[in-house]
Amino acid sequence: MPQVKIIAKNFMDMVASLPALKLDKLYDNTFICEAVLRSLPALAKKYVLQLLFIDVTVTGKSLEEWLLQDGFSKHRVAVDRLVQLRVFLESVDRKKDSSYRLNPKFQINLQKYLVHGGVLPREPMPSSITVRLPTLEELDAYALEQWECFLLQLISSSQAERPTSFSSSMMKIFQRGLLSQREKEAPRLTVNGFQFLLLDTNAQLWYIIREYISNSEDRGVDPADLISFLLELSFHVTGEAYNVNTLTDIQRSTIKDLADLGLVKLQQGRKESWFIPTKLVTNLSVSLSDSSSRKQGFVVVETNFRTYAYSTSKLHCEILRLFSRVEYQLPNLIVGAITKENLYTAFENGITSEQIISFLQQNAHPRVAEKTPSVPENVTDQIRLWEADLNRVEITPSHFYDEFPSRDVFESSCDYARDNGGLLWEDSKKMLLVVKAEIHMQMREYLRSQK
Amino acid sequence: MAGGGHGEKSRPSKKHKSSKHVQEEEVNYVEDFEEDPREGDKEGKKRDFTKLELKPDHINRPLWACADGRIFLETFSPLYKQAYDFLIAIAEPVCRPESMHEYNLTPHSLYAAVSVGLETETIISVLNKLSKTKLPKEMIDFIHASTANYGKVKLVLKKNRYFVESPFPEVLRTLLRDETIARARITLEGADGSDSFSISKAVGEIEGHHDELLTGIQLAAAAEEKETHSFEIDPAKVENVKERCLPNHLNYPMLEEYDFRNDTVNPDLIMDLKPQAQPRPYQEKSLSKMFGNGRARSGIIVLPCGAGKSLVGVSAACRIRKSCLCLATNAVSVDQWAFQFQLWSTIREDQICRFTSDSKEKFRGNAGVVVTTYNMVAFGGKRSEESEKIIEEIRNREWGLLLMDEVHVVPAHMFRKVINITKSHCKLGLTATLVREDERITDLNFLIGPKLYEANWLDLVKGGFIANVQCAEVWCPMTKEFFAEYLRKENSKKKQALYVMNPNKFRACEFLIRFHEQQRGDKIIVFADNLFALTEYAMKLRKPMIYGATSHQERTRILHAFKNSPDVNTVFLSKVGDNSIDIPEANVIIQISSHAGSRRQEAQRLGRILRAKGRLQDRMAGGKEEYNAFFYSLVSTDTQEMYYSTKRQQFLIDQGYSFKIITSLPPPDTGADLGYSRHEEQMALLNKVLSAGDDMVGLEQLQEDADDIALLKARRSFGSMSAMSGAKGMVYMEYNTGRGGRPGQGQLKSKPKDPSKRHSLFKKRFA
Repeated sequence: MPQVKIIAKNFMDMVASLPALKLDKLYDNTFICEAVLRSLPALAKKYVLQLLFIDVTVTGKSLEEWLLQDGFSKHRVAVDRLVQLRVFLESVDRKKDSSYRLNPKFQINLQKYLVHGGVLPREPMPSSITVRLPTLEELDAYALEQWECFLLQLISSSQAERPTSFSSSMMKIFQRGLLSQREKEAPRLTVNGFQFLLLDTNAQLWYIIREYISNSEDRGVDPADLISFLLELSFHVTGEAYNVNTLTDIQRSTIKDLADLGLVKLQQGRKESWFIPTKLVTNLSVSLSDSSSRKQGFVVVETNFRTYAYSTSKLHCEILRLFSRVEYQLPNLIVGAITKENLYTAFENGITSEQIISFLQQNAHPRVAEKTPSVPENVTDQIRLWEADLNRVEITPSHFYDEFPSRDVFESSCDYARDNGGLLWEDSKKMLLVVKAEIHMQMREYLRSQK
Repeated sequence: MAGGGHGEKSRPSKKHKSSKHVQEEEVNYVEDFEEDPREGDKEGKKRDFTKLELKPDHINRPLWACADGRIFLETFSPLYKQAYDFLIAIAEPVCRPESMHEYNLTPHSLYAAVSVGLETETIISVLNKLSKTKLPKEMIDFIHASTANYGKVKLVLKKNRYFVESPFPEVLRTLLRDETIARARITLEGADGSDSFSISKAVGEIEGHHDELLTGIQLAAAAEEKETHSFEIDPAKVENVKERCLPNHLNYPMLEEYDFRNDTVNPDLIMDLKPQAQPRPYQEKSLSKMFGNGRARSGIIVLPCGAGKSLVGVSAACRIRKSCLCLATNAVSVDQWAFQFQLWSTIREDQICRFTSDSKEKFRGNAGVVVTTYNMVAFGGKRSEESEKIIEEIRNREWGLLLMDEVHVVPAHMFRKVINITKSHCKLGLTATLVREDERITDLNFLIGPKLYEANWLDLVKGGFIANVQCAEVWCPMTKEFFAEYLRKENSKKKQALYVMNPNKFRACEFLIRFHEQQRGDKIIVFADNLFALTEYAMKLRKPMIYGATSHQERTRILHAFKNSPDVNTVFLSKVGDNSIDIPEANVIIQISSHAGSRRQEAQRLGRILRAKGRLQDRMAGGKEEYNAFFYSLVSTDTQEMYYSTKRQQFLIDQGYSFKIITSLPPPDTGADLGYSRHEEQMALLNKVLSAGDDMVGLEQLQEDADDIALLKARRSFGSMSAMSGAKGMVYMEYNTGRGGRPGQGQLKSKPKDPSKRHSLFKKRFA
């Protein structure tokens, strides 16, 4: 299984990694073209617009003529990206000079877009049919709740109040890389899993969506279709209702999954049913480094190692449980204590002291966040010291020898090991010897020669 | 997550009870190392109270209350001050750091609440007003159940007649059904039948502090005059009646109140507070709890060391203005109490008398203040004729106030004895650390009275009333050789000596002493429980020391020099310095060894430097000096000490103190000139530790001297006298050379005059 790295990569990286055929097919959709254009670096955007109405290939040399002296590296980045996304189709002549032209589908769609203006992918349903839609606040709360519920099920299936409709195999796919799954053992959070929990919601969402897309083929869904649908959704208006009947069968089953993640809310009218995009889906294609969505902190850590988390979230409770002992759960407060034992468990699971400390600092309650340090120094020091305490033992692979035939052999063996710089320990009374693993083979040879 | 299971792994519940700790010194009694009640029972029980209903305006309310009695209080709430005053009256503080306090509602705390005049319904309604959630039903039931009987019956001594008083005649009837009480009753002649009680009117309680929280109607009801019913009992049977009323019998514990204004039998003592004695706000508050309804209540007031407990005691005596018996733990503190009375009040010098084995002052006049020790009063053996007379005097007198210092160190049986011997109208206990929730504290509750007030340490620090202490735990790695010996089974009895004598610890200690003496000009106390270490350290560093066997005169001389001489800036103290020795000059403590996991000892020691120094505005939050006192606890890493250290700090940590961990002292590039820097020196020290007898390297052991009650001449009980005389010379070699061959002289005078013999540290200074 490939190591899953959690890097909050751009949606477009995923698009770029699709095979050429699939990618070309994506550009049938105007919204994809628009989304791709928006995602481009500034210089690349400029190239696209300048070439939009040019139907012939342009040599790389003539492109370079537009450049200022110091602009070359930006130029390279822009062109590479355009080629990656197959917005530029590259052709190389015999002299190995490149020339480029715009992807025709992409070009035609954008030209149309410029000339006729944009249209919404779908028309919202009239309010006479949908009657009462949730307010934006309600929708935000719903999205967050769905998302947390999903995360809770993800890290600890037993804790979720109402399980999502994801199949357990689907869940396993999400969990791989985040939880270690050993036979006959309850899954435990891995280092990556812990890091995942500490990411902000957009980054977490992206990770899950990526897994969802990369696994789509197994479910008989074309990843390109899925990407195209997700990008299309991001052009819908948050809070408006859209008729489910306008969706294809595959999209209809997808939208149910997305509802489980909190990307859309499904509602059933008398005759019609509709979906309402939440801000999670409309933010999906925007840059993920955007930290404006950072939530307000909620944890107070006291000098006596007690933690008070102002939260109603079971997920927070589970996260705190990773490194502290939760003692009281109140309607809007979780009371716990950071103990050596809990930290040792956390360290054993590969969570580092720095991760814990940065989690506590990043999520510091506004009351204490303004103070420096936001987490008491004695607590952070102690967490680090406890971790350092575990790292005091150095492990050297070694081999143990006993039952020497005679004292002479034992002593000469000790000498031999010492001379070769491999003697770790000897007990001359009981004739026991430990040597470093790297001289084990030599040692065996030597002993054989002694016989 | 393993089904949420492994995150709840519990601390192994170790019980460290070691029989070798069973020694007594002065009135410093053995403490059981009860596990922190928060541990252990925590696990297993699920404390999920998420189902409690939040009130819509919960943000404006300061606390959460759980069904199991735990209460969480936000200190940043605008209602914090009111809520704090209220909670401290009804609940036991568990921990009080900066942002969030925790309290426990216990039967004892509710007993205390009732006894300062809070009624069941008031407790519930105020708590409900402050709570963010609806109060759990369990809590309401608990309050009802705990307070149903409390505070209903009072024992009042009026004109030297004892009355059992209650606003509820049916309760009195219940009591009288008990045979013992019925027999103790004195029926007035002519009164027929036993159900008629004398009826009087008393002014109801007005609780000023909770005004904001009570509606007008409730206030009016509280202020209304109440009828009280009472019957008289035989003074000789008071003790029996009280006992029958305790929770294990009739469960109507009696509150004791003293109507001192109407006491015309006992002569008044003319004493007032001097004008310069201005009680601070929290001292006022504690006194107002005691004198809430114009009478004097018996009970305990808890204030941190250095926060001015003695002024509270003296003020109480000045309000009651009757004869006062003041009990302290040792002779030095007897002197200090006598001094405090003269300092704060207008009492005439001849009205104070000290009664210790050394100073048996005669009691003159018909009213006065007697200061003595618990041991002097409780001693059961044969006394000198002179002492017998004074004790007789104490026994026969009726005291207006029995003032008891450091009540936490005296065990119940001694209290019982003292309380039986002395007849007093009102008992006031003072302490800094009511740490234990064990049986003994329970006894205190019923022997003296409930806790009347407990101050918040951090608030006092912020107000600049006590010093802001930087606490640090200094990690001293064991040297290789010491650690190897430490691990050997055959050295099990020497473990403590080995980790205390760890050369790295010695060097850290010397470094700190130098730093504080030279860089900051501080006054330093070094504490060592281990007598062997105390002697070794003090001798090697040429500093004066005080331990159990140091005579009263010697102690006084050393303390005087420490206070006044610019050359004596460090003093080594054994356990004798834990309590009551007032050393206001000191602002640095270095602890090199301690009594296992005693939280109380740690707090008491910290208390030695809590007295605020310097100007008030510098000390206040945001003032010039961030920290003006330092508390270092030196621990040898990887030894038992680490475990104990964590336990010891618990009380202080719960008060909001934090311990900074220092891992490299002395700093790596320095320390070549400190003691034991060379390997040979270290090995010599190791040999010395190993060759000393097991009994010599243990804790200081002090015995009660049968003849002398005040324990002033307590002596070490180890070994034979040959050890003292140097026959086991190894141990005392250093001792002899350090003294420059002038034994018998006070250690203060033992500074060698010959410059070549001076310690390198002093050479520098004298050069």
